[in-house]
Amino acid sequence: MELIKMEEIKKDYFLGKTVVHALRGVDLIIDKGEFVAIWGPSGSGKTTLLNLIGTIDEASSGRLFIKGEEVKKLSDDRRTEFRNRSIGFIFQGFNLIPVLSALENVMLPLEIMGTPHFNVRETALKRLDEVGLSDFVEHLPDKLSGGQRQRVAIARALVTNPNLVIADEPTANLDSETSHKIIELMRGLNENEKTTFIFSTHDPRLLDQVERLVRLEDGRILNGGNEK
Amino acid sequence: MIKWIKIALRNILKNKRRSFVTLIAIAIGFAAVSLFQGYIHNTYEGLRKSAVRGEGLGHLTIYKQGWLEKGKIDPDKYMFSQEELKRISDLVGEDEDVILATPQINISGLVSNGRTSTIFLANGVIPRDDKTIKGAWAAFRRPVKGEGLSDKKPYGVEMGEDLASHLDLKPGGYGVIMATTLDGQMNALDIEVAGTYDTGSSATNDKYMRVPFGFAQSLYDTEKADRVVVLLNDWNKTEATRERLEDTLSGAGIACKIKTWNELSLFYLKVRGMFDMIFMFIFFIVFIIVIMSVVNTMGMAVLERTREIGTLRALGLKRRGVSLLFAVEGAMLGFLGTVFGIVLNVIVWAVIRAVGPTYIPPGYSSPVPLIVNLVPQSMFFLMLFLILLSLMAAILPARRAARQNVVDALGHV
Ligand SMILES: Nc1ncnc2c1ncn2[C@@H]1O[C@H](COP(=O)(O)OP(=O)(O)OP(=O)(O)O)[C@@H](O)[C@H]1O
Ligand SMILES: [Mg+2]
Repeated sequence: MELIKMEEIKKDYFLGKTVVHALRGVDLIIDKGEFVAIWGPSGSGKTTLLNLIGTIDEASSGRLFIKGEEVKKLSDDRRTEFRNRSIGFIFQGFNLIPVLSALENVMLPLEIMGTPHFNVRETALKRLDEVGLSDFVEHLPDKLSGGQRQRVAIARALVTNPNLVIADEPTANLDSETSHKIIELMRGLNENEKTTFIFSTHDPRLLDQVERLVRLEDGRILNGGNEK
Repeated sequence: MIKWIKIALRNILKNKRRSFVTLIAIAIGFAAVSLFQGYIHNTYEGLRKSAVRGEGLGHLTIYKQGWLEKGKIDPDKYMFSQEELKRISDLVGEDEDVILATPQINISGLVSNGRTSTIFLANGVIPRDDKTIKGAWAAFRRPVKGEGLSDKKPYGVEMGEDLASHLDLKPGGYGVIMATTLDGQMNALDIEVAGTYDTGSSATNDKYMRVPFGFAQSLYDTEKADRVVVLLNDWNKTEATRERLEDTLSGAGIACKIKTWNELSLFYLKVRGMFDMIFMFIFFIVFIIVIMSVVNTMGMAVLERTREIGTLRALGLKRRGVSLLFAVEGAMLGFLGTVFGIVLNVIVWAVIRAVGPTYIPPGYSSPVPLIVNLVPQSMFFLMLFLILLSLMAAILPARRAARQNVVDALGHV
């Protein structure tokens, strides 16, 4: 079943008088439950593509459907609600809230959603357990290692049971062993819960672990969106 | 909501130095306004008592319609006759909030010790009623030297201290007062100085006298009075009672004009006008300081936490939510600042009470203690106001942050 459908997506950035064509017409379909890596050299448009799918940015032209809804037609508030319920984010720089403990960080998306409180804590604890951080729930982010922080971020991304998790270079700030473990963790969650994962990387060593590889170069998708 | 307060509080604590400076600014601002408010509260209270009790204005004064405008030209026409006085006294006396309604007459003329003479202004009062109006006030504020007015001594008068000393008269001394009667005849009466008193102001101390009501009437050769002074059981009821009495009296066919103590006390009005002005000035400065320091602090907070804002937006926090987050933080600063302010206020208040400083206000003849009241109600409203102000000052930068593009915010370092 189609989760994401992109038609002729273009994205231009304007830097003074020069125009940067970050995406030059992307057609892409991603189904429910897929585990997709977006791979390409620096500047190829990976971040731009993920931001569009994550509904935090808007395309210059073309159409984007998520769960059959055309994103452009949603108001900012509706789109924000949609993100809260249906999309989880994992950032390269982890982006945990520094004044909140690991547990509080994971609880945050549910609290934004407004779930009654008794659920929130338990759900968040369960997610932290899944990423192997049961012993670190009260730690503040700056008392955790990079790998642990990214695990907290993964727990946070999954806590609302989203349809889709987007991760822009989730391992770029981690050593290669930790990177493998993080991808492994994401892969496991994908298999167990059928959550769709899309992550970008330019580290070719991680690509063995994915089932679908989308290769981007200079704002275009090569080989019809599946390298494998 | 609780989580936003939690986040706000932790962020305030995280930036201890910056928050501290802001909190101190709010606290000092709060204490400055509140202490001054406490000071003028005490002053107004003193002035009110001094007007109602000391000046003997009572709470309400009833004049015949036209007296205030034309009474000087044709006094006889605009004074209350004896029969009118009786009816007013009965009607007003029935009102449940009225303690006393007493006729008075103001006279002026010359007072002499046999060798020199000088002008005087005198208030003719019924000694017994006058005691009621003065109440406990007379004893501890401006005591009369000598026996004072008495129903038993119809020609005993009280004199301003400076007037008595000009005339070289002491309690027990004798003199003469002269004036024209309402018909225009010259009239003179013997007086005995029954007491001297300090009017509290050098401008009136050498002119004022207080004489028994009947005595003043005989000097003017009349049975009338130019006013009826009314004392109430509670000054807060002044306005309401005025309206009620106006209805009652006009209903009974008595055309009159009722003035309140604060309308009549020129001194009260002037001091109040000046203090209100100074208060507005201080208040305005504090207003600006609080807004500027909160806008500054929150502006920095918003800037530092741009990436955090981007993250929260990505996680599904609406623009409104971002504004709320920072508004709560601003309100929190306002709240903590005013709590410190209250502490500061109470400390200064206690120190003033312990030290008991005095000062001589302009127009006063003796030093008065500097007293500052603690007025919880005003403090509460000031607190509410400053919290609201801080909240609004925080919303300004927060709204700007909430509107910015999520990707830009996330990319911010
Ligand atoms: N905000 C922006 N303003 C102008 N140009 C931009 C902006 N963001 C990205 N670009 C340009 O768009 C192109 C695609 O950038 P993008 O960040 O999507 O690439 P990427 O594949 O994620 O690169 P990297 O691997 O370095 O993260 C690049 O040429 C980049 O310089
Ligand atoms: Mg990128």
